[in-house]
Amino acid sequence: MDIALEAALKIAVILFIVLTFLAYLVLFERKILGWIQLRVGPNRVGPWGLLQPLADLLKFIAKEDVTPDTPNRVLFALAPALALVPPLMALAVIPFGSTIELFGRKIALQITDINVGLLYVFALGSLEVYGIILAGWSSNSKYSLLGGLRSAAQMISYELALTLSVAGVLIQAGTLSLSEIVHVQSGYYFGIIPRWHVFWYQPLGFIIFFIAAVAETNRVPFDLPEAESELVAGYHTEYSSIKFAMFFVGEYAAMFVVSALATTLFLGGWTGPGAERVPLLGVLYFSLKTGFFLFVYIWLRGTLPRFRYDQLMQFGWKVLVPMAFANIFISSALALWR
Amino acid sequence: MELAGTEAVFFYILALFTLVMAIALVTAPTAVRGALYLMATLIGVAGLFLLLHAEFVAGAQILIYVGGVVVLFIFVIMLVNIRAEINEPFRTYTRQRRLAAVVVIVMVLGVWYFGIQQDPFHLVRQGPVVALIPPPGAPPPPVEEPTLGGRISEDTQEVGSVLYTKAALPFEIASVLLLVAIVGSVVLARTRRQEETFD
Repeated sequence: MDIALEAALKIAVILFIVLTFLAYLVLFERKILGWIQLRVGPNRVGPWGLLQPLADLLKFIAKEDVTPDTPNRVLFALAPALALVPPLMALAVIPFGSTIELFGRKIALQITDINVGLLYVFALGSLEVYGIILAGWSSNSKYSLLGGLRSAAQMISYELALTLSVAGVLIQAGTLSLSEIVHVQSGYYFGIIPRWHVFWYQPLGFIIFFIAAVAETNRVPFDLPEAESELVAGYHTEYSSIKFAMFFVGEYAAMFVVSALATTLFLGGWTGPGAERVPLLGVLYFSLKTGFFLFVYIWLRGTLPRFRYDQLMQFGWKVLVPMAFANIFISSALALWR
Repeated sequence: MELAGTEAVFFYILALFTLVMAIALVTAPTAVRGALYLMATLIGVAGLFLLLHAEFVAGAQILIYVGGVVVLFIFVIMLVNIRAEINEPFRTYTRQRRLAAVVVIVMVLGVWYFGIQQDPFHLVRQGPVVALIPPPGAPPPPVEEPTLGGRISEDTQEVGSVLYTKAALPFEIASVLLLVAIVGSVVLARTRRQEETFD
């Protein structure tokens, strides 16, 4: 019973913190984009625009929920949920920190440490495409359908590179459990360089992982599924009100999960100076590293133009996948040599 | 094979879910719905794998079948027909009923004979943590404290080592088969003239 209660509390706390964080991530994105374009960004609702997420939420709830003339109403309503739930479920295995002592109990800052944690995250990531493809199909609109088809093709192509790029980390760490992968990366080389995977063995894997992850979450410069200039809004053209908000939050939750995963796999997760003794410091390191990736996401959006569709496919299949295979080959050779 | 407590509850829920979805799959009026029921069936099967402490197989099932194969099915179905889907649902039942009945009877007999008469399950499943092939002279598996992840087995390592030792030949045959399938589909789908115009 204690275990179930602990798990339920952890799930509630982590969902609350992450969802609040995602709401503010949208604000920061708008702020940073504004600064990149020499604008101010949202600054009217509350001091420094801090109440903007709340205003957005109220607006989403208050809007009329329009359902188009669709071949399948159930799927139309189900699609946003299918886009939102998998990334939130993936939070269950992310190690946010080490262990803290609370009320005389040792509590790991991770909801559950299953031994196939990495596979679990990827399995959920592969389900994300359903929300988008079903939204595109059930909207009964050509823009939505084209967006959904593009998205399915893109996600399948880049998922291959994403999964292969992680194989190098698996070879090096020898485990699928995310907390053990973090533990493998603690310590330093020559007393100064952290033993993160990105510095030793896996720089190529890291680059492939991050590029494929940006494509997998449908963000600029890979945001073909929702290319405004040609597809209006892609797969969520016909969605309004809270259903649109669910797609929106789902996209940001996926960004967060991918950033957290990149931190865990390549940047040593919560490890850092003093993190073993002061667990909350570990949470801080984790947040900073994850925040760095989220900033890069926004930075890319403010900087790069969109790919053309054929460029996207060529890049995925002819550059990223062969590079990922080469990375596996190099990693295996190094693992044998060591 | 004995089930007790929550395991039994989950087993019957998952088994029922899988069966209902499988029946819905073969009787689905439209192809897209059929593909979605197939997805649900495969998720149910993944849940059953989890109950057997085969976490890696369950994860791979979701990743490959649900996240890959069925997505491609839906992709193709959506490309082929959108309007036709609503206007004329294709005929579900053709003249294959008699053949299907024979196949089902043979399979039920097979399950009855091998599953109930010979009872192979007690061979693979004794106690909480069971190795597929226990190494010779291995100490008995330690009793673990219950954790949030539940009981954890060494499933991944076993799948890997079995795949590259005992099952190496079937594994290679399967990979060649897949290669043949890919080349064959390209040959069937693209004529020489198409290739020339593309180049």
